[in-house]
Amino acid sequence: MTVKTQGVGPYPDKWARESATPLVERYHSAVRALAAEKFERSGMSWEEAVEAGVLLPTREELEQIEADVLAEGYRFDVSATISLKEEPDKYKPLAGITDSGEHETDEEGRPIVGTGDNVFKAPADITGTARYISDVDRVMEMLTEGVPDNTVAIIDDSGGTLTAPILGDFTAVVCMGGTVRSHLGILTREYNVPCLMNAELDGLADGDEVLVEYSKPAADAYADADAAAHHRVRIVKVS
Amino acid sequence: MPIKHSYVDLLETNNFIQKWADSFFFQCTTRTVQESKLFPVNPYITMSYYNAWARYPEVLRKVDAAMPAEVIGDRARQVGTYVNTISMGVGPQFYLGGRQWMIDMGLLKPTDAVEDVIDVIDFARRLNMSYHRSENHIMPSDGNHKDQIHTARQTEFFEEHAIGVTPGDQLHTAFTAFMAAVSAYGFLSHCECRLSFCNHGPYRTKDGNQMLVRDALDLSECDFPWMDGSASEIEHNNLTIPVIMKDTDFKMVDDWGSFEASPSYDNSKLVAVGLFTSDWLSDGYIPVHMGDATELAEYFDDQREKMEAATADMWRMMAGWTREQMVDAGLLVYYAILKDVAHFAGVYEQSDWFDVDERTQLFRPLMNDEYGNSAIAELVGLISLSSQDRGPHRMARYSRETGEMWTSIPYSVLADDNWTAGVGPMGAGSSSLPPKTAKWTTTQGKLTQDECNAAAKAFHSAKFDLRYYDDDVWAKNNPDAEQTTTLAAR
Repeated sequence: MTVKTQGVGPYPDKWARESATPLVERYHSAVRALAAEKFERSGMSWEEAVEAGVLLPTREELEQIEADVLAEGYRFDVSATISLKEEPDKYKPLAGITDSGEHETDEEGRPIVGTGDNVFKAPADITGTARYISDVDRVMEMLTEGVPDNTVAIIDDSGGTLTAPILGDFTAVVCMGGTVRSHLGILTREYNVPCLMNAELDGLADGDEVLVEYSKPAADAYADADAAAHHRVRIVKVS
Repeated sequence: MPIKHSYVDLLETNNFIQKWADSFFFQCTTRTVQESKLFPVNPYITMSYYNAWARYPEVLRKVDAAMPAEVIGDRARQVGTYVNTISMGVGPQFYLGGRQWMIDMGLLKPTDAVEDVIDVIDFARRLNMSYHRSENHIMPSDGNHKDQIHTARQTEFFEEHAIGVTPGDQLHTAFTAFMAAVSAYGFLSHCECRLSFCNHGPYRTKDGNQMLVRDALDLSECDFPWMDGSASEIEHNNLTIPVIMKDTDFKMVDDWGSFEASPSYDNSKLVAVGLFTSDWLSDGYIPVHMGDATELAEYFDDQREKMEAATADMWRMMAGWTREQMVDAGLLVYYAILKDVAHFAGVYEQSDWFDVDERTQLFRPLMNDEYGNSAIAELVGLISLSSQDRGPHRMARYSRETGEMWTSIPYSVLADDNWTAGVGPMGAGSSSLPPKTAKWTTTQGKLTQDECNAAAKAFHSAKFDLRYYDDDVWAKNNPDAEQTTTLAAR
């Protein structure tokens, strides 16, 4: 989306600047412009206008700000699946796991399909079946029917709530986001379920058999980018 | 007419605004970005800040009139409740976050709602000073990230009661499994928020180990309406779990009650553990099933099984919520972070803490997922809002950039009449969630709201009457005094 700063604010700002993100800039500048118009029309002093509440936008005015953005063809990034489910026309579709077709291989010639930061050092590496879990329906299915044996859960949510009722039943977890301090990282440590956070995946498909090097040392949360990259744990596709 | 506050009042207020800004920046940038595929987390956080801005001034004045903030802090040091390090430290941040957005949108100037800001900050300052009295800090970051809430008598109480464990024995196994279950349960009941947990310490133990005191809060039927029914089998609302670890240095206990240990926290280093309950109606901590290791282990197992069942039950309910219900639940968890001050004061009203103000509702149309994520990132991480820029010469404490998270109050309010006092009374409230129907789980049994408030107002404690003697500096030179003996009595 092109940033379109909407008019000027209702009072001077010597050190005004654009916000770092386009949507905040668009929304906040639009509300500022509305406040400026209302202040001008009120004929009141600033303090009188604030106390009378005349500067506040109406719900309809705020709805129009969003409608204008959508009318330009912009679609929002989605976080919670409920948002996409209720208003699919407002959001971009969820991205799946990419496959560049170009993979490095391990010492045995098997494709490396991802790397991640190890939450804790497990006694041994783990081989299991990658099962992609990204929405409520999949969790409900596993809650009802049970988590299949040997499941390495591939989760694109670093929170602790989506998989809360079934987390302890996973053999291991690979999370495509967050950090080792994220809620999911905290919970997997408590459950003693090996876990990689901040995983970058390429070419991994639901149902693949994978070997994950959970026996490698835990990631250092304070490491700089180079050191962190050096200690990334590999996910190897074995069949 | 200029505002009726002294120059020193305003200096102190601005000092604390900046102190909170620095603390929040450190925490937000060194902890983690919150996200969830289940809950629209950042939209609800954003909404909660508006609700705090609209409602805290009135509700906190009501509480302060019934029981001054510094007395609540003193009471809270005796028990494990929501009046703890994270909640009392973060509550003012949410309020200041609402103010910052209003300024950034041009709806307020920094000279607006000044009486409100001074009062909210003053309440939080007094509360935190008395809560953290034992080490004379306001935040753990003031003490290089340690958080010793308790005096020696309380530490000794936990240490003497703790039951020894060995890795692999029944109690160790039960404790480890329980901690995992209560963690998952707490994140879910709090809609992805960490407020169900807070740690304080570390405290040295006589045998050279370290003790961390871990509070797990609001576990049973309590203020959260969505826990009615699902949480009915959980016996105690608050559990305090002191853990004594060997070969472990808790090198950091931060302003959010999170800890870091060196080497990393490892349950195989657990030496002893205890279990207590308490709340705003209890006179200190009450041991829970601590007759012996077997009894405690069986209780951990029993409560773990019930929490796992409650987690599944609550998850099924939440998975069927609308987006509006998810946003409301999350925003009310955040907004109600200060709710237990009203319980201590005996003036708790569900509608004060679990309704969304009509002025907050106004902003709902903006709250798509991307806006929520961007707005939170800019406000507390990037510090990149236009209103946060202090000019080219400014250098912030940690980032060394020109932005500051929270805007201070201009001193011009002491010299002219270009300022406003506050946001006025709370607006009408509503919520898309089912109302609360169950009673509250307390240490005095299951009570109605009116019974809770009556019991809180009737609370009396001989020990609490001696609170000015509950001081290690005084006890050091008066070890045999009657006051010391009374305070140490079990």
